[in-house]
Formats: sequence, structure tokens, C-alpha cells
Amino acid sequence: MTQGREIAVFAIALVVLAFGPLICPLIQLDITILSEVLVTTLAVLSVNLLLGYTGLPAFGNAAYFGLGAYGAALSVTYLHVNFEFAVLVGAAAAVAGGLLLGPFLLRRRGIYFGLLSIAFGQVFYFIAYRYTDVTGGEDGMNFPRPSLGPGFAHISIKEVQFYYIALIVFAVAMVAFRAVVRSPFGRTLVAIRQNEVRVRYLGLDTDRFIFVALLISALMAGVSGALFGLLINFAYPLILDWHQSGNFVLMMILGGAGTIWGSLVGALIYVIGKDIISTITPLWQIFLGAVFVACVLGFPRGIVGSIGALVRRRAVSEDVSANEAFDANAPIEVGRGV
Amino acid sequence: MLHDLAPQLFNGLVLGAFYAIVALGLSLIMNLTGTINMAHGSFMTLAGYLAYSLVLRGTSFWFALLAAPLIAVMVGVAVERTLVRPLYRREPFYSLLMTFGLSLIAEEAFRLIWGANGVPFSPPAALAGTVSLGFMSFPVFRIFIAVVLIIAIAALAFFLTRTRYGLRLRAAVQDTEMIAALGTNTQVLYAVNFGLGIFLAGIAGVLAAAMLGLSSTSGNALLMPAFVTVIIGGMGSLFGSVIGGLLIGLTISMTTLFIPAASEVSMYILMAIVLMVRPRGLFGEEGIFG
Repeated sequence: MTQGREIAVFAIALVVLAFGPLICPLIQLDITILSEVLVTTLAVLSVNLLLGYTGLPAFGNAAYFGLGAYGAALSVTYLHVNFEFAVLVGAAAAVAGGLLLGPFLLRRRGIYFGLLSIAFGQVFYFIAYRYTDVTGGEDGMNFPRPSLGPGFAHISIKEVQFYYIALIVFAVAMVAFRAVVRSPFGRTLVAIRQNEVRVRYLGLDTDRFIFVALLISALMAGVSGALFGLLINFAYPLILDWHQSGNFVLMMILGGAGTIWGSLVGALIYVIGKDIISTITPLWQIFLGAVFVACVLGFPRGIVGSIGALVRRRAVSEDVSANEAFDANAPIEVGRGV
Repeated sequence: MLHDLAPQLFNGLVLGAFYAIVALGLSLIMNLTGTINMAHGSFMTLAGYLAYSLVLRGTSFWFALLAAPLIAVMVGVAVERTLVRPLYRREPFYSLLMTFGLSLIAEEAFRLIWGANGVPFSPPAALAGTVSLGFMSFPVFRIFIAVVLIIAIAALAFFLTRTRYGLRLRAAVQDTEMIAALGTNTQVLYAVNFGLGIFLAGIAGVLAAAMLGLSSTSGNALLMPAFVTVIIGGMGSLFGSVIGGLLIGLTISMTTLFIPAASEVSMYILMAIVLMVRPRGLFGEEGIFG
């Protein structure tokens, strides 16, 4: 996609999303579901940066997501902070988690990295589960949604206001994410995915690049988690669980790994699909599992990735960004890195 | 306190043997094909429920202990042939995702078939009660579990080191193409290897069901410690899985005794320490799986 066209698509998407609260009643969709889509997209992007771009099996991002949610929940409950401060605390908690786990995760690559992120991520689950006095344990913790702004000029956040806050955060995150992956830093991450040894021979400290990517990922997941907690006014241990990490990865694969729009499409289909299917049948989880299996076996490029590949095949002469789509069959050898 | 120490130590070893045997199955599959089998816990649960249903229909516990894992193996090999095999050519990450999806399906299916609540499944009367060992008394069933797990691990070691097929399997881990060139059907090898891993999971699943309870998520509860076991023991090393499992079992039982609040977190702390001192794990080989 050329730059001009990309900006146009982004602008159109934002305008359509800005009319969300008007469109939603027409299709009998709750506005909170649409807020959830936007918030979830941030978490999917965080997985995308590590897995789609850098090629690291990030199977533990629920830890940062959950830290964000608990950070918001705890600061609202015990410190009575306002909305924006709760998000900041959640984001800070997630980045602190990334700083803590990063040095361990960095030690390994490939599926070993995946295994480590699953295992270390689970630590926070057990902490939230065990410290019942503070976190409410298995039952989780309910908390009121604080108002935005300082005490003398505060705005109370109803569902529609929340939606627009989420939309602004989403827009900023999308622009920032695009800037990151198109920067020399982002290109280096893609190079690490393709051949880490070669990047090292070029004299770059890949560990440092991956660590920074991990922190950016933790930050995005943390903001997402904090907003999610504030959306449902609830934080519970299962959002820290590895199943949650798996869901983020599914959304990323569904939309298309290594594509910016894929994360939104994946989150959109997942969240709305879950909302619709779980009202029809209690067997939502079987559908989810089947989508996982079908996606991996038959559709590894995801929706946006497949469309991108199609468009590129039609117009090879156009400005082709070869590494935009994650080619499942390319000899990347992610699993057996250095 | 010291009075509780001996039984708790032994409990830790039995628990550790569970982790070890689950980790062994995981390692077998991971070493040969690079697949992290996220559905491993589901196969354990499946074997547990199958054993429960068999006993409910009047078969003996002993028959169920053998038959249930074997049925789980049949399911496992069918899954491997149809769903996992197409992914061997791709990055290992995809098979992790696929088996994760399978575990979601399995969990819901168990709930549909056997109900959302746990079902009672107790060891046979012959294995009930406790035995006095002089300095402590200990449940007979746990001693039985320890014996079965030791036999299973010893049998696996014998198979891998003393039989031709076992040698081929280990050779295939080193160089699959060479083994294929020398005339071994590697597709059969993959299936046998996967089935072997599931069989170990199945035995552990039946025993764990009788000792720790049986519900749709009970297998997954053992999966996470098994992952940690593989990391601590070192990927690529089966011996490491055994030692790692016992180490974690002891760590958990000791923290349960002295600092109960930290019982779940303790194994992660152990994992962090091992990774700091020795990133490849205690017995892991450098270079395998990064």
C-alpha cells in the first residue's frame, strides 16, 4: 500500500469508528462491545510486535495485560485515583513486569522463548489468586469507574465517553505502532525474525532490540489491560492466565501476523463473534478451539495477510513492501534460532 | 514440624514423579518434532475420564489403568496423523497454537460428556488405607503410584537405550533425514513417538485422577509444572526431565509445609534461579532449540 492510500484508509476507518455510537444501535450491538474491540486491539498489537514482526512466540502477554488491569483496579480501590492516573499505573505495572521478566526471557529463542513466557506469565496469575486480602483472590475485585480529569473539573465516564477515550487511545496507538515498525528499529526486528545470526554479524546487539520490543509490547498490553479493567470495572485472575495469552495470539493469527490492520480485524471478529455465539450456545469454547485449529491448518496468513498477498500478486509493479506479510512457508526457522 | 517432614518429603517425591512423567512425554514429542503439545494435559484428563467410565461399567481398576491410556494413545495417534503432521514443515509455533486449540475443544467436550463438576474416582479397596513404615505412616495408594511411575520411567529408559527402535528414535532426534535415508520410515517413527508420549500422559492421568481428583481441567493443572520441569531439567534431556520433576515436587512440598502461601510460586522462583545460573537448564544441551 502506498503511503497516501494508507493514510486515506486510516482516516476512513477512524471516521467510521467515530460514528460507532450511532451505528451500534442499528445493528443491535452494545457500545461496550465496540469499546472492547478497540481496547483488545492494543493487546493484539502487543503480541503482533513480538510474534508477527520479531518472530518470538509471545505466549505470555496476558501477564502484562493482567498487570495493567490489576494496576488500574488496585490504584482505584486503594488510592482513589482518577481515570487517567489509573491507566498510567496499569501501564507502569505492566512495564515493570516486562523489566522483571525480560532478562529471563531474553536468554532463549524459538519455542523455548514461548515456553518461558508461558511459565513466567503464570507467576502473576498465582500471585493474584493467592493474595486474597488485597486482590480478592479467585473472585476478583470490583471497583467503580473513576472520573476523568482533576477534582475541580472532572468528567464522569459513561459508556459513550469511554468509547471515545478508547478510540483516541486506539488511534494514537495505531499511529505509534506504524511508526515503530516502519522505523529502522522496526526493520531490525523484522530482520531478527528472518535471520538473527545475520543481524548479529552485522554488529547489532539483538538482545537489546528484543528487550526494547518486549517493553513496548508490555506497555501496549498494559494500557490495553488497564482500559479493559476500567471498561468492565472488574479485575480477575483469569485475565492473567495463559489461556488469555492464547486468545490474543489467535486474534493476531486470525487477522494476519505482521500486519497492522490484522490486529484490529482479529480483535473485531473475536470479540463480536464471542458476543454473538455465546448468546446462542454455551459451547463458545468449542467454536474458539475449532477456529484455532482451522486457522493454523488452513489459513496461516490470516485475513489481512491473505488479502495483502492477493493484492500484491495482482500489482507486483506497485510499491511492494515485501516483509509486510508474514509468509508461513518462508524458510524463517524461527524455532531453531541461535 | 519435623514429625511432618518425612511424609511431606515423600509426598513431594510422588508429586515430582508425576511432573517427571508428564514432562517426559512432552520432551519426547518436543525433541523429535519441535512440537510443544499444549493438549498434553487434555490427553491426561481423557485417560482419567475413560478409566472412570470403565470402572463405572464394572471393569477392574487394573484393567482401566492399562486400557484407558491405550485408548488415549489411539486418539492421540489419530490426532497426530491428521492434525499435527501437516504442521511439521512449518515453524514449531504453529503446532503449539493448534494443540492449544485442541485443548480448548477437549475441555469443553469433557464438560459436555462428563459434566461440569468433578467426578469421584477413588483407588480400589486393595490399595486403600495406610501402611506404617515405623517412623511414619503413608497411604498405600501413593506408594503404589510411586512404584508404577518408577516402572514406567525405567521401561522408557530401557526402550530408548536398549532396543533397536528406541535407538532409532534417539538417532532421529539427532538427524531425521539421515535416519530416513538409512531406511527407517520416519512417519511411523513420528506416530510411535507421539503415541509413547501420550501413553505416559495417560498412565499419569489415570493415577492423578485417583489421587488428586478428576475434572475437565485437572490435566491442565499438571501441565504447567511439567513445562517448568522441562525448562529446569533442560530441553532435549530426558534425564533432566526426571531430575527436574523430582526437584520441583520437593520444592513445592517443602514450601507447602513451611510457607504455604508461596507453594505455587516456589517452582517459578526455582526456575528463575536455574535460568540465571544455567540458561540451558540443568541437563540441557547447548544449541538445541536455541
